[in-house]
Amino acid sequence: MATGEKQALEPEAGEEPEAGATTEAPVEEEFVVEEESDVGEEFTTPEDLPGTVEEALEPEEEVVASEELSEPEEETAEPELVAEEDSEDGGSGGWFGRLRHGLKRSRESVVGQLNAAVAEFRDAEDEEFWERVEEILIASDVGVTTTAKLVGELEQEALEKNVTSAGELRKMMVEHARRMLEGPVEMDVSNTPTVILMVGVNGTGKTTTTGKLVKYLPGRVMLAAGDTFRAAAIEQLQSWGEATGAPVVARERGSDAAAVTHEAVEAAKRDGVDVLLVDTAGRLHTKMNLMAELEKVKRVVERQLPGAPHEVLLTVDATTGQNGLRQAKMFGEAVGVTGIILTKLDGTARGGIALAIANEVGVPIKLISVGEKVGDLHPFDADEFAQALFGEL
Amino acid sequence: MFETLGERLNTALDGVRGSGNLTEDQVKKVTREIRLALLEADVNYGVVKEFVGKVRDRATGAEVSKALSPGQQVVKIVNEELAELMGGTAHKLTFASRPPTVMMLAGLNGHGKTTTAGKLALFARKLGKNPYLVACDTYRPAAIDQLQQIGRELNVPVYTEGTEPSPEDIAERGVQKAKAGGYDFVIVDTAGRQVLDQDMMEELKRVRSSVKPHSVLLVLDVVTGQNAVEVAQAFQEYADFDGMVLTKLDGDARGGAALSVVSVTERPVKFASEGEKMSEFDYFYPDRMAGRILGMGDVLTLIEKAEQQMDQQEAEAQGKKLMSGKFTFEDFLKQMQMIKKMGPLSSLMGMIPGLGKQLQNVQIDDRMLGRVEAMITSMTLQERRNPKLLQNPSRARRIARGSGATQQDVQKLVKQFGEMQKMMKQMGKGGMPRIPGMPSR
Repeated sequence: MATGEKQALEPEAGEEPEAGATTEAPVEEEFVVEEESDVGEEFTTPEDLPGTVEEALEPEEEVVASEELSEPEEETAEPELVAEEDSEDGGSGGWFGRLRHGLKRSRESVVGQLNAAVAEFRDAEDEEFWERVEEILIASDVGVTTTAKLVGELEQEALEKNVTSAGELRKMMVEHARRMLEGPVEMDVSNTPTVILMVGVNGTGKTTTTGKLVKYLPGRVMLAAGDTFRAAAIEQLQSWGEATGAPVVARERGSDAAAVTHEAVEAAKRDGVDVLLVDTAGRLHTKMNLMAELEKVKRVVERQLPGAPHEVLLTVDATTGQNGLRQAKMFGEAVGVTGIILTKLDGTARGGIALAIANEVGVPIKLISVGEKVGDLHPFDADEFAQALFGEL
Repeated sequence: MFETLGERLNTALDGVRGSGNLTEDQVKKVTREIRLALLEADVNYGVVKEFVGKVRDRATGAEVSKALSPGQQVVKIVNEELAELMGGTAHKLTFASRPPTVMMLAGLNGHGKTTTAGKLALFARKLGKNPYLVACDTYRPAAIDQLQQIGRELNVPVYTEGTEPSPEDIAERGVQKAKAGGYDFVIVDTAGRQVLDQDMMEELKRVRSSVKPHSVLLVLDVVTGQNAVEVAQAFQEYADFDGMVLTKLDGDARGGAALSVVSVTERPVKFASEGEKMSEFDYFYPDRMAGRILGMGDVLTLIEKAEQQMDQQEAEAQGKKLMSGKFTFEDFLKQMQMIKKMGPLSSLMGMIPGLGKQLQNVQIDDRMLGRVEAMITSMTLQERRNPKLLQNPSRARRIARGSGATQQDVQKLVKQFGEMQKMMKQMGKGGMPRIPGMPSR
């Protein structure tokens, strides 16, 4: 099932409609046939148990797969959705406007509180004011350490410059946050193929972001279904492949992730695609065996293609608290993360963890994801982000 | 999970433990540390304020008991307040008097609803129920596939209608189908959603009213940050959940979100989910968790886990052997296999009183056990019973070859084993110092 043949259903999904159609068929067929017997030994999860009750009970179930697979295509490839996306971008300042829009609806939002607190600023010697700012930053997931640093710097500068107006202070806050957040956001996609490894903890949005990246990145993109562990992860990536017209290299669930990756790199080289995106299984950074598996996947890529992977991107859920720091540190140590993608910024997330990561880990945030649509992926803009956190509402 | 919070509180209370008199200054210092520890653990700001206020009031208040030193008093107060905040005892699953019992799962994207659905089904079956799953996530690509694959693994039927019908209709028909099929425990899985998405929240409300569940569970990732409170409040408003499932507890998140949600919504954490295996799911024991937060060790859970896996008599015989110093590699192998059944070593270590702090920098690699096991299984029975034989290098070489280890590894194991035998014998005679943190009998 995992290796079932996939066809690009609608060519209008991608900028290069022929890309999906031409590269897809040969890649798929080859892998389906030769790799069926290879099932990873370390995975004990049984697959495809025959004769379940469900089959007997539910005849309708048969249609599910096809209906379900066509769903993201509807969601993402419809021209009117793309148009709506554009108008939103133009109308309200992109994700920034969207974030603010969301925050306005939540009156108790921390941004609103900070806004109100700063509006009352008059005197840099007012200890209570700084305590209030500290509180709000901590309530934004900035964390105790980074908050102490940021507020300390602000207080010192405000005292030195004898700042007395709220407007001035706000500018300072944005500037300090911007400096903290700034980093190289460009992704290195100059190689052919460029290999990008997607890593992260379970549920942080790796597969979804991988799907979105197909549209975001220039050139022809190929996907590798390296999450061979979670139920239906392969199908999820394949439906993104259909929706975006990107060929997907996949094996059965339970296969060796490194082996899938190996094949995908070979296919990417042979077919001359511009970018190979390797999705991997979600894993907690505390599980040493799973981290070792990830290191193995990376080694396989390195061996096959000197200089690759060119990027190792870590997805971090923006609603995560201080554990986000641990995630960034541990994945960084294991596989050398080159950039972070902050996901789910459309929720009630404060995104303060971005400041904490920038300050304490030092891996640059490269992309942010603010919604469920394929176009909801944006380059990280330190200035915009600082504005969203500290700017006037 | 909570180890680090425990460490912080321990540090804060180190100065307090054993001191004769608790001055106002000391209380201030201690409460400051508690405040920082809780904030770093992602407990919501407002909740922290309230909590610290309570501790301070009680600590500086008149409740000075003659039986306890002021230091012990603070430990007791913090422990009691934490326990109260987390809710008293574990909430056991209750079933509808007229089956089926209908459960509904709700939560943010990626917090583990679908996996939890599978785990809960298995859990219910272990309690003698006949579970049935209903797939209502019509949004995320392959979400239905995921539930179906889980259903197949567990041999639990999954009701689906694809992604076209509305989730509330699917849910309603699913429950009907379960009823007709004689299933007595229905789990309705819903799509992940963001609480600011009004339409999605309204949809959740409709699903709820169409299936009239006996219980709604909010599935919450333990890494959740400060916004846990808003999330919980929104789900309370739209889904009126009556309990929580805390997921990914096997990570190292400190889990302050759990404290926040319980405190704000007054809804208890009912289940704890940890690990990738479907069986890694259990009731949540809040009273014990408070002890764990304080680094006192989760003795109860450890004992229970051990009891489940070990044959009582076998364990007693092993214990006697251990203390007598007649412990052999054969016994060691048996013990290792029992321990492995109990779960990952790292999670077990966290439950041992006093070890939480010592082990903060020690990385425990479960594969070590595997390597040791391989070496022992490469020994002959005679060698296992009489480890002295292994001082012969040619035997060590043979074992190394058989187990894929180096000769040094084998020699090291034999040496360590000898030391362990000695130590155990010593312990059996009562010659070992008390493990720090272990409550004295």
